[in-house]
Amino acid sequence: MLPEALLPCSIHGNVVLPHFLGEHDHPWLRVLLEEYGRFVGRRQRELDERLRAPLPCASPPAKRRIAIHVLARHWGTRRIATIPPRRVRAAVFGEAARAYAERAAVVASVAGTLGVTVTELTEALFADLPGERLVAAPAEVLSPGELALRTNLAIGQGLLFRSTAVLIDMEGNARAVVRHAKLRGLICAILPREGERRAALEISGPYALFRRTLVYGRALSEILPLLAWCHRFRLQADCAVRGQQLTLRLASGDPIFPGKAPRLYDSKLEERFARDFGRVAPDWDVVREPEPVQAGATLIFPDFALRHRGDGRRWLVEIVGFWTRDYVERKLALLRVAGLSNLVLCIDESRNCADTALPSSSRIILFRRRLDATAVLRLIEQEPQAPG
Amino acid sequence: MPVARLPSVLLLFDRGTILLRDLDPGFDPSAIPGVLWDPRVQAYRTPAYRHEALRRELTRRGLPFSDDVRLPQPPLGSWSPIELRPYQEAALWAWELAQRRATVVLPTGSGKTRLALAAMARAGSSALCLVPTRILLAQWLHHIGRTYAGPIGCYGDGAHELAALTVATFESAYRHMDRLGNRFDLLVIDEAHHFGCGLRDEALEMSIAAARLGLTATPPRDAAVAERLVELVGPIAYELTIGDLAGSFLSSFDIITLHLDLTAAERQAYEGWMTTFRTVHAQFRRVAPGASWEDFARAAARTVEGRRALEAFRRARRLTAFTEAKREMLRVLLRRHFHEARVLVFTADNESAYAVAREHLIMPFTCDIGRKEREEVLARFREGALRALVSARVLNEGIDVPDADVAIIVGGALGQREHVQRVGRLLRPREGKRALVYELVSRKTTEVRLARRRRAGLAPRGAAAV
Repeated sequence: MLPEALLPCSIHGNVVLPHFLGEHDHPWLRVLLEEYGRFVGRRQRELDERLRAPLPCASPPAKRRIAIHVLARHWGTRRIATIPPRRVRAAVFGEAARAYAERAAVVASVAGTLGVTVTELTEALFADLPGERLVAAPAEVLSPGELALRTNLAIGQGLLFRSTAVLIDMEGNARAVVRHAKLRGLICAILPREGERRAALEISGPYALFRRTLVYGRALSEILPLLAWCHRFRLQADCAVRGQQLTLRLASGDPIFPGKAPRLYDSKLEERFARDFGRVAPDWDVVREPEPVQAGATLIFPDFALRHRGDGRRWLVEIVGFWTRDYVERKLALLRVAGLSNLVLCIDESRNCADTALPSSSRIILFRRRLDATAVLRLIEQEPQAPG
Repeated sequence: MPVARLPSVLLLFDRGTILLRDLDPGFDPSAIPGVLWDPRVQAYRTPAYRHEALRRELTRRGLPFSDDVRLPQPPLGSWSPIELRPYQEAALWAWELAQRRATVVLPTGSGKTRLALAAMARAGSSALCLVPTRILLAQWLHHIGRTYAGPIGCYGDGAHELAALTVATFESAYRHMDRLGNRFDLLVIDEAHHFGCGLRDEALEMSIAAARLGLTATPPRDAAVAERLVELVGPIAYELTIGDLAGSFLSSFDIITLHLDLTAAERQAYEGWMTTFRTVHAQFRRVAPGASWEDFARAAARTVEGRRALEAFRRARRLTAFTEAKREMLRVLLRRHFHEARVLVFTADNESAYAVAREHLIMPFTCDIGRKEREEVLARFREGALRALVSARVLNEGIDVPDADVAIIVGGALGQREHVQRVGRLLRPREGKRALVYELVSRKTTEVRLARRRRAGLAPRGAAAV
């Protein structure tokens, strides 16, 4: 993660303002990319030395340093050596230790033994070390605009890394964010919000009560690229910057590079159900990944929300993977706690892990391999609508 | 017949912390130090390293509790007898007297790892050894394997294997302690001085291990860091310096400081850069007389002049790191000791190490050289197939370097701690051995002051037991 001194930002009251790169930075970013291009095939240490000096055009030093940091991760290096450097080192330093002789004599003797020229030998000696490797262009060279976005992501993540808790008001993609949070040991609480796909999440590490930690700071920073795929988000975090506790605010529209696109559907099964249901129930809207629902200390993530266009009836659908009777009973109890009488559990009969019968419930639909959209439609049309 | 009281509280491990659940209505844990209400999960919470203190406090208050924190232990293997030197035995006793929660300070080469093995065998419990680097990870696995019969876990260098006795790098420990924290009763922390300043302290906070043994040759002298280390590991229970053991359990040694001149061109360049630096630095000192170097660096990074000053300082340091005179003197010294001694050359940075390697054909031992090659290099150095190694930092800490007689310190960047560690590399005792340390110092440069300062760490301190 970026050292604090590298982060271009300013402090206004109790707010830290990241200095994102924009179009006005593109000219010097283009020059920087050209400098990288100019050093392709030359040694990495030569490029490093060059980048310590200013560019031939005006460029803000803090932004330039962080852009270089981002580029260093994007560009690669390659090794050239006629013989493996490790073998050369073993031969040269072994020969030098055998008997005292002048450097030139040792090098010439080893070169002769290995059947290479003295120049080839001395070039190969450390050809595998980071500074000696040759700069290689990446498969896809960044444009100034892309470099700006990636640099902005690094700036945003660098600030979030210094946070203990984040509050995110978001629309769409909440599941991916919560999945990441759980995977990284973060605590996720949901705050009530109005709207079909809106969710407000408060995410923090277990140590947030006591102090800021690196391990959970890193986990919080990794949320940022996921947020770029939300329809809308607003993020607020408390960050420790320059010895002060400051508020960071980020929102959709900030020029941040998005991470890898999340998959629209978790499985073929879900994709097929969405398509089938749309066909058999033209009066209903299918909403993928609606907002999560708090049930006690647990968050429930329905896979779909089904909403009737005419009368506004609304049902939630969750598709259960592998299950046991205990699991399904606990799930039903959770739904009762959350007052979720409008949720349909769709259970694949073939994925019973304990060979036990299912508890009976009118809100359960059984299927094998393919979820029958007509059966789901029948259930929600017949069942009385409960408040959801 | 007495009636058993129902537990007033249930203790659970949760991602490096302890949760207090199922509370008796009459019990308010917020009065216990370090315990806070966590509204996110509707429970009280405290960091895992306070587990033992929490248990003691609950017992003191007469509150029955159910403790589900500790995961069941896999069976332990058996230990072979471990023979200790008198001072190692004394250090072990001092650790035991400190309730097995203390730091032991012993010089490099005096057998800290052996002491740790004895402590683990004595404790007879599950243990997690934390080491700073991947090289040390392999070294500890090797040492434990020679005295312990049973599976040994490893976290680091791509491995994720768990056993009752496990070795982990600091980096892996900090990444995984939220899941490993309730599995070990003893933490052994090699090179413990790396902790206490905030960076990765959480690895120690997230463990419930009540027994802790910190090992270091160079305890932190900064009061705040030392205090934090006492909290996370334990107080210093036993301390000896190189001066205390040199001539008995460590080899005697001489230090020869060679003051060398810069060439006229080097002097001109040096003075030019230092003038640029001093102008800005002096201005800063006038405004903030009590500020540290870090404060200056932070402030300087924000202005064009400041950045120029920092760059000038960096160039001046780089110049003095390996001057013409040092090159020449190194050639003379290497030739002088070529036949009768094994030599370690220490430089200020990797760049200088590679320059030495190229010019004098000495094998470099740096972080850029792969693990397997480094192992081969150490083996060849041990056999005498290599007579000298050059390193900037990798040889400073912990690595078992085969017996060497001469050290040539071309440059250093980390002061007293680094110097103590480097000199310690030569002190493996041998009949009739007297080690020799050459310090090459550029005259009339900042190196003179640095060299004077770093030598203070070698003075005898005397043992202090609790």
